[in-house]
Amino acid sequence: MKFGIFFEISVPRPWEAETEYNVYQNCLEQAVLADELGFDQCWAVEHHFLEEYSHCSAPEIFLTAVAAKTERIRIGQGIAVCVPEFNHPVRLAERAAVMDIMSGGRLEFGTGRSATWTELGGFMADPDDTKKTWDEFVRVIPKMWTEERFGHEGNSFSMPRRAVLPKPYQKPHPPMWVAVTSPGTELDAADRGLGSLGLTFGDFDVQEKKISEYRRRIQYCNPVGLFVNEQVNTVNFLFCHEDNEYGAKTGQRLAGTFNYHAEQLLAARQAYPTRSYPNVGLLPALRRDATSAPEGSIPEGLAIGNPERIIGVLRNWESVGVDRVNFLLNAVETVEQKEVLASMRLFAKEVMPKFVEDRVGNKAPVGVVS
Amino acid sequence: MPFVGTRDVAADLAPLTVMPSLDTEALLLPDCRQLQIIYEIDETVMLDLIPPALHPTIPPTLIINVIAADEGPLGAFTLVLVRIGCRSGARPRGLTIQAVCDGSEAAAALATRWGFPIVEGDAQLMRNYDRIRATAAVDGEIVLDAELMNPEPINGQDILYLANLNVARVQRNGGEQVRLVQVDAEYVFKKADRGAPQLLEFDADAFNVPGCEPIWPVSASYTTVDINLPAIRYLVDPAKGPGDSVEKL
Repeated sequence: MKFGIFFEISVPRPWEAETEYNVYQNCLEQAVLADELGFDQCWAVEHHFLEEYSHCSAPEIFLTAVAAKTERIRIGQGIAVCVPEFNHPVRLAERAAVMDIMSGGRLEFGTGRSATWTELGGFMADPDDTKKTWDEFVRVIPKMWTEERFGHEGNSFSMPRRAVLPKPYQKPHPPMWVAVTSPGTELDAADRGLGSLGLTFGDFDVQEKKISEYRRRIQYCNPVGLFVNEQVNTVNFLFCHEDNEYGAKTGQRLAGTFNYHAEQLLAARQAYPTRSYPNVGLLPALRRDATSAPEGSIPEGLAIGNPERIIGVLRNWESVGVDRVNFLLNAVETVEQKEVLASMRLFAKEVMPKFVEDRVGNKAPVGVVS
Repeated sequence: MPFVGTRDVAADLAPLTVMPSLDTEALLLPDCRQLQIIYEIDETVMLDLIPPALHPTIPPTLIINVIAADEGPLGAFTLVLVRIGCRSGARPRGLTIQAVCDGSEAAAALATRWGFPIVEGDAQLMRNYDRIRATAAVDGEIVLDAELMNPEPINGQDILYLANLNVARVQRNGGEQVRLVQVDAEYVFKKADRGAPQLLEFDADAFNVPGCEPIWPVSASYTTVDINLPAIRYLVDPAKGPGDSVEKL
């Protein structure tokens, strides 16, 4: 099992002159420390207009800064929005390739389609179409990366043949993922040979069933890329402290704050009736279910508390088939930066060694190469 | 902390019926027709429209629900709800400060048993092949004229109705209290259509949401649906902050 960090870059009000700058600097410091401590990946979301919850609208720029300040940690677009009103697919391919070059081949390319009316409406994107455009984008982007010249006549975009440049540093191309929030998207991932980038927590039983089906289906996939990326990535909260009670209490505050802000988002489903965004599976609801617990107890799946407890939690995730866990370290700066860094150091010292795997350089930890 | 509202809703309540009891039994309204229209509204007034117990949605939203019950235990009536999209803590809700209903018996029951802040008026919901149109008038003045254009069938399960919070005056603990009464109705969908929303007339003052200007159409849906109005389980103290305003009965 490998561990990473995951940034939403949430910025608390009031927004003063230095607020966003300071939050970005804190995130950068966390990423640099993660690299030093042996975390494997650093992911950043693409969100737009989501006040306080996420001010990470240009993750490729943030992640390029991370790459410039680090040596080994992989950088993940988590995710690139595959909706033409947000991003032209050529621009996605180009930017990803540059990131891969600038990072020395450390890019993980996550894909998705946005889930809020705030974003979809802001770009005047049709919620009915986002699954279709995502599907079209994930098929063509690997071709843009690997074919000398690329042309396309499609549903969401068309273009005459052009050389999409530069090409990624990793050959044949960076590992590809899809964000899994709606039920069934893990099967979409499997059918296309994509990694499952879980952005919801879910309980162990639910996740085990999903992972099992993902593993079964991907054996028969029709990969969109030149290789199959059979990996399951999940998101969790991290607050590690010697004092289990304090660690759990602070971690629950972190999770609660994050969820509270997530619930404020105007989900696509709440504004626009469409089968494209199923009723169940809304990101906030799933996160709430997975992070709630009877009073006085700690949600079983969260990596919060002392090292011993967190090791137990992660062993459970490992046992249900999770390959990687990415941690949210803060939410609207509810935890002081020095405590975040201390938590990361303690985790690296006491927890990470229990899960050490041999690693070779900074090669992409990808699945089966076809 | 997300934004919270600033409105003193108690000032809006003077003409409203008092709920004599919160011990309300559930009631099934079969085969209702419901039009829902959602618009984004001008954000400059979003905090002025809701009380301190609630967060606005971002972007702020206006949700219009027109419910026509052609038969049922309350007789035939048409109810027009003008709601402000919001969050009670972390829960999505629609706040109703003023509603219009055209049936006296129904208006009285809805007001006294579920706290719907109703004024009586004329209301209609009409289906045509090319549009579904809802109108409401109070004292002979048109206060709402809304349409769903070009209806196309969809699955009812694709529609989400937010639970309602009614601004109400309730008899409780030996006195009257101003509370938001949560009505989290249950729905069984039988037919559903979706189309483009269009507001031809909207009198914000008539619905006690002054300054609420619909500026961006979002969606429109029309359903045939069984509505189960529930027993009341939660109240919200509008003057308290979101973290400590919910009261479980």
